[in-house]
Amino acid sequence: MTRTRSNATVTATVPAARPADPPAAHSPAVDVPAVDPPAVGSGDPPAAQAAVLAVRDVRIRDDVNDREIVHGVSFELRPGRAVGIVGESGSGKTLTCRAILGILPAHFAVAGGSIEIAGRDIARLTTPQWTDLRGSTISAVFQDPASYLNPSLKVGVQIAEVIQVKSGLRRRDARRRALELLTAVHLRDPELVYDQYTYELSGGMLQRVLIATAIAADPQVLIADEATTALDVTVQAEILDLLADLRERRGLALVVVSHDLAVVAQVCDEVLVMRAGEVVEHGATADVLYHPRHEYTRLLIAEHEQYGLDRYLADTDTDTGAGGGGEQRKELDGVR
Amino acid sequence: MAVSTADHAAVADPGVALAAARARRAAGRVLVTLARSVAIFVPVFLVATFLTFALRALSGLSPASIQLGESATPDAVARIEHQWGLDRPFLAQYWSWFTDILHGQLGASWSNGTNIAELISNGLAISLSVVTLALIIGVVFGFGLGTLAAVRRTTWIDRAITGFLTVFSVMPPFVVGIVLVTVFAVGLGWLPAAGYVPASVGTWPWFTHILLPALALSLDPMADVARQLRSGLIASYQENYVTGAIVRGLSPRRIFFRHVLRNGVGPALSVLGWRFPTLIGGSVVTEWIFGLQGFGRFANDSAQAGDVPAVQGVLVVSIVLVVTFNLIVNIVLGRVTPASQRGV
Ligand SMILES: Nc1ncnc2c1ncn2[C@@H]1O[C@H](COP(=O)(O)OP(=O)(O)O)[C@@H](O)[C@H]1O
Ligand SMILES: [Mg+2]
Repeated sequence: MTRTRSNATVTATVPAARPADPPAAHSPAVDVPAVDPPAVGSGDPPAAQAAVLAVRDVRIRDDVNDREIVHGVSFELRPGRAVGIVGESGSGKTLTCRAILGILPAHFAVAGGSIEIAGRDIARLTTPQWTDLRGSTISAVFQDPASYLNPSLKVGVQIAEVIQVKSGLRRRDARRRALELLTAVHLRDPELVYDQYTYELSGGMLQRVLIATAIAADPQVLIADEATTALDVTVQAEILDLLADLRERRGLALVVVSHDLAVVAQVCDEVLVMRAGEVVEHGATADVLYHPRHEYTRLLIAEHEQYGLDRYLADTDTDTGAGGGGEQRKELDGVR
Repeated sequence: MAVSTADHAAVADPGVALAAARARRAAGRVLVTLARSVAIFVPVFLVATFLTFALRALSGLSPASIQLGESATPDAVARIEHQWGLDRPFLAQYWSWFTDILHGQLGASWSNGTNIAELISNGLAISLSVVTLALIIGVVFGFGLGTLAAVRRTTWIDRAITGFLTVFSVMPPFVVGIVLVTVFAVGLGWLPAAGYVPASVGTWPWFTHILLPALALSLDPMADVARQLRSGLIASYQENYVTGAIVRGLSPRRIFFRHVLRNGVGPALSVLGWRFPTLIGGSVVTEWIFGLQGFGRFANDSAQAGDVPAVQGVLVVSIVLVVTFNLIVNIVLGRVTPASQRGV
């Protein structure tokens, strides 16, 4: 067992082999992640592409002390696009995600605004309709992936379960699909990982497995709430790379939530900056990064400069950053 | 290492080889549980039987006092003790007694010389019938009530069930037994009030004779199982993997049976492990009320009579029963939640 485990752990730390991309050229003048100028606003995809997720002025209230915690969040997400939400801890990012997924904690409620997933207003969904929608249209991954998987079941079985239930595949076919998914999330030796339990896998591998369960029924939207937060820098970059890769290959639309501006900037076209339940800034990633309008955004950027964002960027670029980022930029160029 | 070899073979030829490897691993897990249990069981058995055997030396009891009364002459006492082999060295006596046990022989009763193994197996047939039925009733209703309370937690259903369970667990089985006899046997005349009919005579008469005592004994384990299950399920429902399963679009039903139950059932199963022996032991009063010559009655009568070999037999059989039942529970637990078995 020891041997197999150490064997597998290597997969997580050695970046997956990918086609070599030319290192992304940074604008030397700015110290923020490289995302090309305005993608949203000026360079929107054709309007015919209907939003797969539309959040309109959503307000969330805590019924216990009758306080409004989130004061109006709005954004639209089109197929294959990525929206980021940044903000300090406690600013309401997770509650917003949970509202979208219909899993607000007890005594929290959406007090205003509306949420539409693939054109359906979630306020009117029944429990069976929710069950139908989740997994196959919208799905999510979180921080601490081990806890979101059943400790008593092999991880492969949990992926196959989603495929069996949501896609109606037979046991054997579901297993084959699950193995394909494990490969798709860049896990080496999927046959081995399939039969392992959560406690046998490293944090990075678990996040890949969790992503595999989340995309097993081929959803259109994936919400990643602090999905890379507890991981060390190299693994974090690999996971972000994976998300960018899934977005590109499967047209998966992403909502990437983090307290870390660099994480969001690396993957997203559009950023919302939240503070104390308020969206203080919202715009194309490059716009927000290069021309922050709100003082709080400037503070977030300044913090990064202070704590050596450049060094972090240099690291991630030489490791893996180039792959997803480069492809993504090409795609954007094509759109424009 | 054998495991990873199997894995590599599987990579070369998926399908059959892989299925075989997995079956082998599952069987291996059961074997490991068995081996570990045997490793614990053997020393426990040796120490327990030794203590059991030392019982006679410690108690100073002798077959002579049972057969001859208090006024026996020392000569007569010595003659009787010689007949029973009690003048041999202690360890020699222990050894022959121990090897007899391994062959299923528990010796002869001091009171009347009858075969103890036979007496015990007669009593055990009755007690096991009653206790097994009590456990089945307790588990079925305990699971039902515990689950219902957990799923409807904090509603009036939960409060009603919890209230009933508290009453159940504080009510002594003999009170329940008397009430049951009064209502169903004497009052309504639906079931026999006392006695036992072996299953070989007829399943239905056998069942009707053990139903009331089993019901009386079932309330306590029912309450235990239900309460453990309720808290296990409620704790399990608060885990993140439930949120994970919801977000993946699994139905509430599937989430309950496949994810919540699997992880929440552990404490309820463990409680059964130590419930069983106390049920067997605690059934004396119930057996007496229902006129059953069970294992508990036999143990009690033997102890009262100072029939040491019979008491020793009772203890040995009890040890075997307890260990066997715990082994079964451990294997079931290991199958349901492999993680618990690996100390995670
Ligand atoms: N389960 C909960 N119970 C009580 N308060 C909560 C709960 N979840 C979040 N909150 C409150 O709501 C606010 C926003 O939380 P959250 O959305 O988790 O922030 P973020 O994800 O941005 O760190 C916080 O001030 C927090 O105190
Ligand atoms: Mg959060």
